[in-house]
Amino acid sequence: MTTMLLTESFAERGARERARALLDPQTFRELIGPFERIASPYLAAQGVVPQSDDGTVVARGTIGGVRACVVATDGRFLGGSIGEIGGAKIAGALELARRDAQRGTPTRMVLALDTGGIRLQEANLGILAVSEICDAIVALRELMPVVAVIAGRVGVYGGLSLSTALCSEIIVSEGARVGLNGPDVVETESGIEEMDSSDRPLIWRVTGGRLRLRQGFATELVSDDVPAIRDAIARAFETPNELGPLVAQVFPDPRLARDDFLRAMEIQP
Amino acid sequence: MIETLTYEFPATQSVEHRAHVGVVASGNCEILLEPAKDGRSAVVVRTSVNGFGGTWQAVLGRFFARNPVAVQIEINDFGATPAVVALRLEQALESAQ
Amino acid sequence: MSASVRGRAWFERLTGKARPVEGLPPSVLAADATIEGHAVRVIAVVPDPSARFERARNGEMGIDEGFGVAAAVNATPAGSAILAIVDVPGQAFGIREEAIGLQRSLAASTQAYIRARRGGHPVLTLVVGKAISGAFLAHGLQGGWIGAIDDAGIEIHVMSEAAVARVTRMERDDLTRVAKEIPATARDIRTFATFGAVDRIFAVSDPDAPGDADIADVVRALAEVLRTPEIGCRNPRDRLDVPAALHTRTLARRVREELQAQWDA
Repeated sequence: MTTMLLTESFAERGARERARALLDPQTFRELIGPFERIASPYLAAQGVVPQSDDGTVVARGTIGGVRACVVATDGRFLGGSIGEIGGAKIAGALELARRDAQRGTPTRMVLALDTGGIRLQEANLGILAVSEICDAIVALRELMPVVAVIAGRVGVYGGLSLSTALCSEIIVSEGARVGLNGPDVVETESGIEEMDSSDRPLIWRVTGGRLRLRQGFATELVSDDVPAIRDAIARAFETPNELGPLVAQVFPDPRLARDDFLRAMEIQP
Repeated sequence: MIETLTYEFPATQSVEHRAHVGVVASGNCEILLEPAKDGRSAVVVRTSVNGFGGTWQAVLGRFFARNPVAVQIEINDFGATPAVVALRLEQALESAQ
Repeated sequence: MSASVRGRAWFERLTGKARPVEGLPPSVLAADATIEGHAVRVIAVVPDPSARFERARNGEMGIDEGFGVAAAVNATPAGSAILAIVDVPGQAFGIREEAIGLQRSLAASTQAYIRARRGGHPVLTLVVGKAISGAFLAHGLQGGWIGAIDDAGIEIHVMSEAAVARVTRMERDDLTRVAKEIPATARDIRTFATFGAVDRIFAVSDPDAPGDADIADVVRALAEVLRTPEIGCRNPRDRLDVPAALHTRTLARRVREELQAQWDA
């Protein structure tokens, strides 16, 4: 049953609708959907109500007529954080896509990530899952591109930001942020002078999609528009996938005072 | 802690499909709705906001009074207001018909 | 936070007089050692009080450490195994790091370890101190074999305990209680091992200054693992099939089974 949506905004959609929007029309088929109720058994004891799909949706379909799989995390459930089940959905889908590629029936893999990182309430299981995800991305990239779409409200932080950096093509929106440590964590650990987590414009200047494109970290910057994102994904799959080492880009002398350093990076402090 | 509440209502109508709406986010809830077999409706509410059994009874009662459908409903709640719950129930029912 | 000396201590005991790999930042130690006849590039991340990044002076994985470890791993000589000595309190928390893109630096070392392992270099990990979050993902967790010393100073988690307490608004005592109920939230090495993630735990006399017997124990165990290179080349996913994981990672296994069953409808 498709919900009638009058908007082409990607960010306003939930994970399920994002996956549906990225797959060719009428091809969306969810795996391990909410009615199978594979939900986290670890949350109730910690005072958290679990969600029926654990906040991660895996859907098969086609993209540009080619077999595909979209995995989308729901930034609204526990910040899109990754626990045992969500992590296994992502890793398992990547592993199956690699199996398909080895068999000569490649499945295009798109990771639509909107996540603050590993779920604290499932820390050990989450970190193990992310190590599997990282390995699975590199393994799949030996055979074909892996495309990340970071265009939600949370962006991507934590272990999954590391995984994102392993992808072949990273499509980001202006509104998305890509960083390792969330601004509140940086503020807590290093002080408000280091980073004021309430200064939203600063946060976006330091970790937003536009900067990431300028740095060459993201390969394409898109508006919050489903057709634009679909086009970007199509282009991403046409781009040759060269699995080379990640090389450090040039940056100013970190010994510069904070504000001078940021200005030298063409970021207004 | 998590409170689990259960309710039952009589039913005279049926629905065609199952439906899933919402999300377990602050101020929101997730609803899974499936057709039930035996002329009665059953609702299970899981919520992290305790002590509102009466409110749930009232909201659900109003919904089933208007829509006496035979369904099995599961609500995973994170502090949704009665208005939000009522909206989600309507959305779920619409999807299911 | 006082910087830990363990990583360097274990590195020096295990590499002895082996020549250090050049061209790395001072916080990344690497040397090509021989362990009972097996060539092993040993890599550790250690504190550098004069690091050019002020937020990465206590042994954290920062920009220079991620790319430094990557460089060391990527240049591993043919036929050599790799041993990651892990004592990392976490990743560097700084605005410079976020602006440059610390996730990319840690991805560099993660990718290096993955490609080395998949390319046939056995990757072994020895946890001797803290193994937190992105730092552990980038340095250690991609090992095909993971050993650890048995010590309360070992801490495995995604965030410092203080930070978890702040974020969840729970008291430390409550967190300890929850950790007993929900092993996934525990920080100690023995609980981490119940998930099938640790292959061997070593009792040692002094974790900060390992004695001859401690080192001999570890060397013997490493040599045994190195005699079967397939062990060090196992992927993270392979850990789902070890006996412990059958009980503690049932959902991770079940999700994969269901995905496979539903993949081609």
